[in-house]
Amino acid sequence: MKVGLRTALILITLLICAGSAAAQGNQPQLSAQDQKVIDYLVRDWGEDYSVTTVDQAMKAVKVESSEENRFRIGSYIKAHPELHEIIRRWGWVTLVLTPEEKLIARALINAQRDGKPAPSLSELAKAVGIKEPDVKRGIAMLTRYEILTRDGKAAEYTVAPRYIKWEPRLDFVFHNLALDGGRQFSVN
Amino acid sequence: MSLVSGKLENEKVTIDDSSPESTARIHLVFDRGKLKSQEPASTIFFMGGG
Repeated sequence: MKVGLRTALILITLLICAGSAAAQGNQPQLSAQDQKVIDYLVRDWGEDYSVTTVDQAMKAVKVESSEENRFRIGSYIKAHPELHEIIRRWGWVTLVLTPEEKLIARALINAQRDGKPAPSLSELAKAVGIKEPDVKRGIAMLTRYEILTRDGKAAEYTVAPRYIKWEPRLDFVFHNLALDGGRQFSVN
Repeated sequence: MSLVSGKLENEKVTIDDSSPESTARIHLVFDRGKLKSQEPASTIFFMGGG
């Protein structure tokens, strides 16, 4: 009986270890440039009340921004709230999305919250003040982060329920500051 | 407070902000703690601290 219990405990431990390793394996690997951005953010967060975003950090350390490296860095921040108190206090969404992505999310959320049809690409472009291809890129990023889900074949998007329940005036906001000396950061 | 009596009081500071109501953007420029310009013109800016 004791042997059976011990075997069961060993098996459970092995399964937990395997699950943990698999979860880590799903994490995107950061490049040296990505790590440079993360290191900058961890140093910068909290300085002058800053809630500096990934896109601002990439400019600061002169790392060329692409959808892929932004998503990689953002996913890393999402998976590692232990990196800094700012992530835990303000949430990863505040830190990883660009202002345009936040405004697209806000337009879709406001419509869904008010029971209105989802705005079209052209309506979103007008509301956010960007071009339609940029709206498409923004929607793609919000979908990758599972903030939006696509409704089957229809070209409509549904906002994940947890974001609908966020405080309307406080969700997906940005307050970006630029100093004459070149420093850029956000506050909340 | 940082803008008018703190670390940023002698700086030129540009603020790009999201409206709490909609998808509108607000653009403010401060120079040495004083508001120099605002877009849209209808922006109402409250300055205070405690």
